[in-house]
Amino acid sequence: MSEDQLLQLMLGHAPDALILSRPDGEVLRWAQGAEAIYGHTAAEVCGRRFDAMVVPPDLHEEHAGHMAEVLTTGAGAWESVRQRRNGSLLYVDVSARRLLDGAGKPLIVAAEKDVTALRVQRDAQLMEERYRELLDSTPDGIVMANPTGHIVIANSQAEQLFGYAPGEMRGRVVDELLPPRYRQAHVGHRSNYFLQPRKRSMGSGLDLAGLRKDGSEFPVEISLSPLRAEGHTYVMSAIRNISERKRFEQALQEKNQELALANQAKDRFLAGMSHELRTPLNAIIGFTGTLLMKLPGPLNDEQEQQLRTVQSSGRHLLALINDLLDVAKIEAGKVELHLEPVDCGALLREINATLAPQARAKGLDFMLHLPAETLVLESDRRAMKQIVLNLVGNAIKFTEHGSVQLTLLPGAALSAGSGLAGAEIRVDDSGIGIAPSDQAKLFAAFARVNQGRPGAPEGTGLGLHLSQRLAELLGGRIVVQSESDRGSSFSLLLPGA
Amino acid sequence: MPATLLVIEDNPANMELVRYLLTHRGHTVLMAVNGQQGLAIARSSLPALIVCDLQMPVLDGYQTLAALRADPDTAAIPVVAVTAFSMPNDRERVITAGFDGYLSKPIEPELFVGQIESYLPAALRGPAAG
Repeated sequence: MSEDQLLQLMLGHAPDALILSRPDGEVLRWAQGAEAIYGHTAAEVCGRRFDAMVVPPDLHEEHAGHMAEVLTTGAGAWESVRQRRNGSLLYVDVSARRLLDGAGKPLIVAAEKDVTALRVQRDAQLMEERYRELLDSTPDGIVMANPTGHIVIANSQAEQLFGYAPGEMRGRVVDELLPPRYRQAHVGHRSNYFLQPRKRSMGSGLDLAGLRKDGSEFPVEISLSPLRAEGHTYVMSAIRNISERKRFEQALQEKNQELALANQAKDRFLAGMSHELRTPLNAIIGFTGTLLMKLPGPLNDEQEQQLRTVQSSGRHLLALINDLLDVAKIEAGKVELHLEPVDCGALLREINATLAPQARAKGLDFMLHLPAETLVLESDRRAMKQIVLNLVGNAIKFTEHGSVQLTLLPGAALSAGSGLAGAEIRVDDSGIGIAPSDQAKLFAAFARVNQGRPGAPEGTGLGLHLSQRLAELLGGRIVVQSESDRGSSFSLLLPGA
Repeated sequence: MPATLLVIEDNPANMELVRYLLTHRGHTVLMAVNGQQGLAIARSSLPALIVCDLQMPVLDGYQTLAALRADPDTAAIPVVAVTAFSMPNDRERVITAGFDGYLSKPIEPELFVGQIESYLPAALRGPAAG
């Protein structure tokens, strides 16, 4: 064997990476040891810049400093991080010298030794001493990795989560804890993380999975925080198995779907019920009407009176159906408010035009009191109108003598402490009034007061209940003041802007 | 001058009510118990107006309207929906579908004829009109 062959043999089988390069970093020789450590072949590297091939981007500056030092002083030794062809990181001990080629130009020869396992061992020892007890006392699985992504310590919770024996996780690359489909992104994640370490969470909002030793997966939430120790930055990952939470979330989602379906079924039922009840009512109210219009022929007084009873009962039933549907809609949160500027005075004038004839037909005085200035509220016109129509309608219904008065008071005139500064719409009557004991239950569904009182007209028992619910939807309320046989006063209090 | 009107309605009691009111006013009323029958009568008799229920067997009110509008002979006949569907968005749905009018059940017998006649040319609104 010639001297040259022996030299080749030695270079080829040296366990460390032997690399010859020019001062600008161009690689001239790349021994087999370098290929074994870094994964690049000589053909891939020779003629290209060393730092572009194996130095992580964030360490380029540091690398240039070391090279300058070797060129100036003739030699240097340091520890650094390199990146393999497959993207994984490793620790190396570098020892480099400056040489001169035949023409007297400088070259650099470097021997780089993979010390990753040694570093993990050293770090692990340090971490075990400092943090073992602390880590084992937390509920989450905790894994600490060094800058090359190797696990230096894992607490027992993490070992249990991922199915490893005690101590078995040490030295593994953290990427192994993720299913392969996440690894590519994770390597990028991790490299970026060392550039800008700060506390944050992975997997919140996206479905991240952990990979057990046996290959099974489980949903995880991971939060990362940097940890400085001995001049190095480690990454602490707190890992939580969220299978249970996922199960709850799914169960909840299924329940919500069920509820939505049940709600739809209820809506269909209500619409169907309304349709089916109205269909026979159409004939009842319709033919009672034709008879009372005397289209088929004259009626005697008794017949007419009895038909009027059928007619009013039919209308009562219709009102009941309408009110029940309204209540069902409010209960289901299906009432959509259309907020717009509402001119309260104009609204009350409209109601006056609708109901004053009815009051006068009963021999009552109907009076409307409006303030001099225009009062505009941001509210739902339809709901407001429905409430006031109900209050005025009731007042007319329950008053036999005297008057019904509709009054609009601007917010400033409201009693202090009501908390509502918009407006008060008050309906006063001189009717039969409500006993104090009845006032409390006035707004409950089907809670009729004055029951059994001779001559007391019948309502659906839902009008005030509905009005109060609508008033609440508008951010206001209805209050009542009344005295038996002296009349009642109902006020709709509305919020201001 | 009285008009010839077509009523499409599957409920006998409600059909009788509408027929009675319109006939009493002097109009001629043709009757159909479902949309398909209604279409056939509409095409053969070309009524001045059609009163149509919505929920019916065979062909419902919406399908009937579409078929009437698709036929050049019947496309221009006013069609008024008279329906027990009276949820707040039902009127909107009916008008959007292309009906000329919407009346909800129960109808008001005192007003019904006038409401229907408002969709007729003035000359055809009842015996005294014109």
